[in-house]
Amino acid sequence: MRQAAGIAGGARRALPFLFAAVSIVVAWQLVVWITKPEPSILPPPGAVVASFGHLIANGELPRDAAISLARVFSAWLLSAAVAVPLGLLMGSSRALERIVNPFVELLRPISPLAWIPMAILWFGIGEAGKIFVVLIGAFFPILLNTIAGVKGVDPVLLHAGEVFGCDTRLSLFRRVVVPASMPAVIVGLRIAFGTGWAAIIAAELVAAQSGLGFLIANGMDVLRADKVLVGMIAIGVLGFLFDTLFRFLQGRFGYAS
Amino acid sequence: MQPAPDTGKPLCIARLTKSYESRSGGTLAALGPVSIDVEAGEFVVIVGPSGCGKTTLLHLLAGFLAPSEGAILVGGEPVSSPSIDRAVVFQSYALFPWLSVIENVEFGLMRKKLTGERRREIAEFHLRLVGLQDFANKHIDELSGGMKQRVAIARAFAVEPSILLMDEPFGALDALTRRLLQRELLRIWQEQRRTVVFITHSVTEALFLADRILLMSCRPGQIKGEWRVTEQRPRDVTSSASVALEREIYALLDEELAKTFGQEGLRAT
Repeated sequence: MRQAAGIAGGARRALPFLFAAVSIVVAWQLVVWITKPEPSILPPPGAVVASFGHLIANGELPRDAAISLARVFSAWLLSAAVAVPLGLLMGSSRALERIVNPFVELLRPISPLAWIPMAILWFGIGEAGKIFVVLIGAFFPILLNTIAGVKGVDPVLLHAGEVFGCDTRLSLFRRVVVPASMPAVIVGLRIAFGTGWAAIIAAELVAAQSGLGFLIANGMDVLRADKVLVGMIAIGVLGFLFDTLFRFLQGRFGYAS
Repeated sequence: MQPAPDTGKPLCIARLTKSYESRSGGTLAALGPVSIDVEAGEFVVIVGPSGCGKTTLLHLLAGFLAPSEGAILVGGEPVSSPSIDRAVVFQSYALFPWLSVIENVEFGLMRKKLTGERRREIAEFHLRLVGLQDFANKHIDELSGGMKQRVAIARAFAVEPSILLMDEPFGALDALTRRLLQRELLRIWQEQRRTVVFITHSVTEALFLADRILLMSCRPGQIKGEWRVTEQRPRDVTSSASVALEREIYALLDEELAKTFGQEGLRAT
């Protein structure tokens, strides 16, 4: 019963997305029919679908997608490994927050994309530079959401923790503050994955020999708009799928309140 | 399987006051001076208009706040910080949503030196006591308000505190659930006798539950009236004795309400 309702609900939620996707393709096809552009400027959807199949069949698209995802995942994990503990501490200690917050507020407005030239100067065009850029992009959403999560813990839960056996600040932190902030941390991780995904594509556009960003930059160099569009579609679809996955995890582990 | 139920410890509140610094630099008296002696195993209900400082009093007893003056003694020992010896049942339940029902009941038992098995046993016993044994592995979000408060009551009794502090525990529940839980609380309390300090703004609730009712005045809260309720439990709050007592309490309470309205710049007519 419940499962059937879940599936029906899922279909109801998916329908508007399907409608949006179809509308985009229809509009695209109409533009091609009416304006008849050069295929190197705007190929018809059919040509892009063919190109999509071709790039999957020859392994180029799966390989580049896997490389981009691997970069984002490793940088995002590194970022979380620093930002989550730091955010938990900053949210709990006013003194630490006062010291660290100015650094955060001064560095945060610098887009991760603005770090790309520095990353190339420091790390060359190897993996380290790209991971560095994503790390910066993912860091602040995780940090800020974690701090907000800690500060937003219901004071009555802290009282309950104190009454029911947390007699040191550390045990209260470990047994109440950390688990109570987890929903906010998960939100931060989800947003950070999105910003990291945007940052890696940009970094690969500028300096890479592989990855989806490289795929579309290369497509541009050889005047293959179909290849560029295939890359763009792959970026969109993967970003959307991972965001959906995170939303699902958030629903599972992010318990209400 | 439970140790023989003891009766909790006596509570002695001596000339307790709490005041805050106001924004203009002066001090704002929130409570007191209040002196109350509660016997071991006694069920005391404190009634008062909202804003009279009864929650402040409870927070002082729990150890969340430090008194400005005076002392709180539990079994002769001064209170300085929160402790599982003074378990609290909160109006907003304060259950941990990341834990299952039974894990919530076990939470307070972690600090006691018990094996995991024994902990589980005690938690199961107390869940049975509140009739939620079949909900042990449910999530907190899946429970109704009344069920949540039963879990919170189980959590509080499970740590075998000397004193049970209840801060308007049924205030957020509908009238019928409230009635049910009042009965359950009494049943459990009669089985596992503890010293109880129960705060409410419902005179009827006080008449139904209390060994002794204390009425608090408006801010700064002081004890304005005291009644011993001798009627056998379960009580009928519509009996002529109860109604007479209720009338007496309301007479004093109305004076305080009039003052509260006066303080808020309104005229009570």
